[in-house]
Amino acid sequence: MKYLLITILSLSFAFQNYPDADGILKKVDANMSSDTNITESSMVIHGKRNSRTVVSRSYGEGYKKSFSEYLAPAREMGTKMLKLEDRLWIYSPSTDRTIQLSGHMLRQSVMGSDLSYEDMMEDRKLTEMYNSKVIGEEAIDGRKVWVVELISKVEDATYHSRKAWIDQERYVPLKEELFAKSGQLLKRVTLSEVKKVEGRWYPTKMNYKDVLKDGEGTDFIIDKIEFNAEIPEHIFTKASLKK
Amino acid sequence: MLAIQLAYKNLVNAGLRTWLNVGVLSFVFIVVLFYKGFIEGWNQDAVLQNIDWEYANGQVHHPTYEPADFLSIQDAHGQLVDAKDQGLIPVLVRQASIYPDGRLMNVTVKGIEAHQNVVKIPTPSFTSDNKLQAIIGKRMAKAAQLKIGDDVLMRWRDKNGTFDAGNITIVDIFDTHVPTVDQGQIWMPIDVIWEITGLENEATYYLVGKQNKNPSTGNWKFHSQDDLLEEIRALIAIESFSGSIIYGILLSIALLAIFDTQVLSIFRRQKEIGTCIALGMTRQQVMVLFTVEGAMYSIFAMIMGSIVGIPFLLYVSGIGIHIGGISSEMGFTMGETIYPVFNIYLLFTTAFLIVGSATVVSFLPAQKISKMNPVLAIKGKQQ
Amino acid sequence: MIKFLFKGILRDKSRSVLPITIVILGVTLTIVLSGYLRGVMGDMTDQSARFQTGHVKIVTKAYEEAMDQMPIDLAILGVDSLLESLQKQYPNLQWVKRTNFGGLIDVPDANGETKGQGPAAGMALELFDPTSNEIERMNILSSIVVGKIPSKPGEAIIGQEFADKLKVKIGDEITYVGSTMNGSMSFKSFIVSGTIRFGSSALDKGAIIIDISDAQEMLDLEDGSTEILGFLNDGVYVHEKAEALKNDFNSKADTNDEFAPTMLTLKEQNNLGSYLDMVDVYSGLFVGIFVFAMSLVLWNTGLLGGLRRYQEFGIRLALGESKGRIYRNIIMEAVLIGTIGSVIGTTIGVGITLYWQQTGIDISAYLQNSTMMMPSVLRSKFTAQLLYIGFIPGLFAMVIGNMLSGIGIYKRETAILFKELEV
Repeated sequence: MKYLLITILSLSFAFQNYPDADGILKKVDANMSSDTNITESSMVIHGKRNSRTVVSRSYGEGYKKSFSEYLAPAREMGTKMLKLEDRLWIYSPSTDRTIQLSGHMLRQSVMGSDLSYEDMMEDRKLTEMYNSKVIGEEAIDGRKVWVVELISKVEDATYHSRKAWIDQERYVPLKEELFAKSGQLLKRVTLSEVKKVEGRWYPTKMNYKDVLKDGEGTDFIIDKIEFNAEIPEHIFTKASLKK
Repeated sequence: MLAIQLAYKNLVNAGLRTWLNVGVLSFVFIVVLFYKGFIEGWNQDAVLQNIDWEYANGQVHHPTYEPADFLSIQDAHGQLVDAKDQGLIPVLVRQASIYPDGRLMNVTVKGIEAHQNVVKIPTPSFTSDNKLQAIIGKRMAKAAQLKIGDDVLMRWRDKNGTFDAGNITIVDIFDTHVPTVDQGQIWMPIDVIWEITGLENEATYYLVGKQNKNPSTGNWKFHSQDDLLEEIRALIAIESFSGSIIYGILLSIALLAIFDTQVLSIFRRQKEIGTCIALGMTRQQVMVLFTVEGAMYSIFAMIMGSIVGIPFLLYVSGIGIHIGGISSEMGFTMGETIYPVFNIYLLFTTAFLIVGSATVVSFLPAQKISKMNPVLAIKGKQQ
Repeated sequence: MIKFLFKGILRDKSRSVLPITIVILGVTLTIVLSGYLRGVMGDMTDQSARFQTGHVKIVTKAYEEAMDQMPIDLAILGVDSLLESLQKQYPNLQWVKRTNFGGLIDVPDANGETKGQGPAAGMALELFDPTSNEIERMNILSSIVVGKIPSKPGEAIIGQEFADKLKVKIGDEITYVGSTMNGSMSFKSFIVSGTIRFGSSALDKGAIIIDISDAQEMLDLEDGSTEILGFLNDGVYVHEKAEALKNDFNSKADTNDEFAPTMLTLKEQNNLGSYLDMVDVYSGLFVGIFVFAMSLVLWNTGLLGGLRRYQEFGIRLALGESKGRIYRNIIMEAVLIGTIGSVIGTTIGVGITLYWQQTGIDISAYLQNSTMMMPSVLRSKFTAQLLYIGFIPGLFAMVIGNMLSGIGIYKRETAILFKELEV
């Protein structure tokens, strides 16, 4: 009886010891999101035979609007992508065509990477889509992390649940796992090279891995990021695709 | 009657050449019968198998469902209100991926009732527990290298697009002549599919269970058995047409032989013709005699062909003709072994065709008789 | 002597017209039937060879394992040097590059924005190189519904049903959207130069056919192709040859490299093996029996020719010619008639076969408007065998027929023969 009491006490103590997950995610948001951002990034896609690096510059406003322009390699240069809510257009300079992707096509992978267009188009905040709870504490590369479990509260989340490993000091995610409804692990995102940018901690390298498929996954490297910059509204129009 | 008796005597006395002509013609008879029987056997099998495995007594498709267009599957699902009362069996079609040995394979998942009995998919093999269980065809089993009892990871999305995944267990593997219910297809209990996708009570198409020519379907599209069978029937029609060219040529050779023989015998037997006329037969009667003689070749051929051919054809229809597993690659229904089907109708139409055409070609040279001068004929003078 | 007989044949219509006509008819029919049988029974194999499997096919090992997914990222690279060495090593085959690809066809409106879209099943061939024979091999010319075959880069033909669905006309622009062999996004606009109907609904619904050079550029397949198909020069699949070729080629391949090219025979692909065996047996049987039947007919003709002329022989015997000489005469005449008939018959038969091979027998009207998986055109097939197969019944049966009827000369007394001259 006494032991039981101690166990219950220590358990509840343990729970109280974990901070509120929403609070953690808010702090993460403070680091990771901004009203607008301009990012230059490289995507390293590890193919079966070779690896490629795709360089792009992206403009984002909230979660709903984004505009990307590909800068390298030569093949991709000038290709632009505009996302407005749930619609996606791609402009190809070689054909001077604007093509709208929908439905089935959105589930295809982006440039052969382990990301689908749909992954890129998720336009809601995690806290809007998921209920979160801290379920443990671990260490990744010597850094102490909270393990946060997110379970969807909306019906149409692509991934039913996620797990995020959040750095306890810097409040950036160091690892994320995406699960199917059944609990089957589908994708793993590993974040690293956390740097201080404009006073925030920001992971500048992310590796996306579709765990069901063989392969090394896709690296996403932030070369340059600017938060809350002024972005003219005309950027997020179809007209800007052709410029 | 006299003509027939005379013709019979003449033919029998002509000996070897008669029997060679008869032999060729009876061979043609057997070939035509065989080919038609083969096509009919394939036809019956294909129709039967398609009905048994896939089409049932017709299907009712969701308004946007296009079986050939996989893009249509995502949104083609719904509920037909009075489906149950009309004896319609729901089938829900979804897309998914399986990962045998880390390889991605896109598949079509079809949910079907475990206790249905309108198609031959062995749904009784579904066990009562609600786990992820699947039945696949042998072609699919071969492609994915799966055996009964194997587990394979499958990933799918529910109605909201949320990913789900789990190991499905293969509980049965069926063998069918219909590749379209086999290749790239996974059959699962519909209540399991309803549960894992959240599309409760919905269907992509319904199988018409009992004969029902006009189910009320609202804006759903009813495809009758005949509509669905149109494609395979057309394919068989091509084969049948193609075959008729072959035996058409074959028949024309045999007819050429008869024609030739007729020309020869009319030429050789001018004296006989003259004598017959001198004895009081009209030229028309002599013409009939020769025509009957020619036609009698075909009668003999039918008799001989039947004696030799029928046991042979019956034997073949018993053991079947092995043609190998081409159907799976070509995408149409054709068993590995075709059992030809013969019936009285086939026998009579074929016999009629041959006797009819033999009579016509016998008549053509015999026409010459009507123009003959009997005096010259009796002298045996060429004319 | 022959000249004399030849004159006789030309001048005596009763000696020549009927027998030669029958020989011609018989030989023509024999050839047409053989060609047709080869064509129709071999059609499935042939169609599969032409459209998919080749007589032999070379792919990378990795591609072979995932062939049904058409993974362009596992294509053969350095394809031109491989082709060169193939041509050197195996000159009795024609080698061509083929690439199958998937993607989306997007149709623009006046502003260049998406008006309509559809999933595409693409095929890239060596269209611009006339020596590749691909246009002929795929029957593209006769399958075109409207328009013409692409003649310069940036032109494409698409399936008629696909064009109807997307509401595209000749001269319209369409854009291919897909991914390159590296997975990059790929866009390329094409002018629709023609629409095609192969008679196979799978192909006609989403087909786009372009030149291989366009595909290489579009799919980033520089000096690459997913497949190399080899066709034996006489156009007929001979399994022993293909098998020997495959063993030879594969024995030289690097077994450790998953991108090393590997060769497959037609028989190994698509389960075609047993069907092929069956076609061989059946068409051999048909032709054999047909030749027999034909021989019978021509034998009759020979007999007829001989019998007709008993009177003549009687006179000739009376004039002092020896029986043997007359007999030899008959045989020589038969040889001449058989040869003339067979040559003409073979010419006509081969002509019809070639015509049926080119244009085929269109039975689509007969099939009404159903969507077919099989070609709605039946085609004959010309093979070297046809050049001699007609001679067997045409010449030999004729000669044998005459030999048999000629025996009558020996059997009958000169007097009787002479008596038949009586008027």
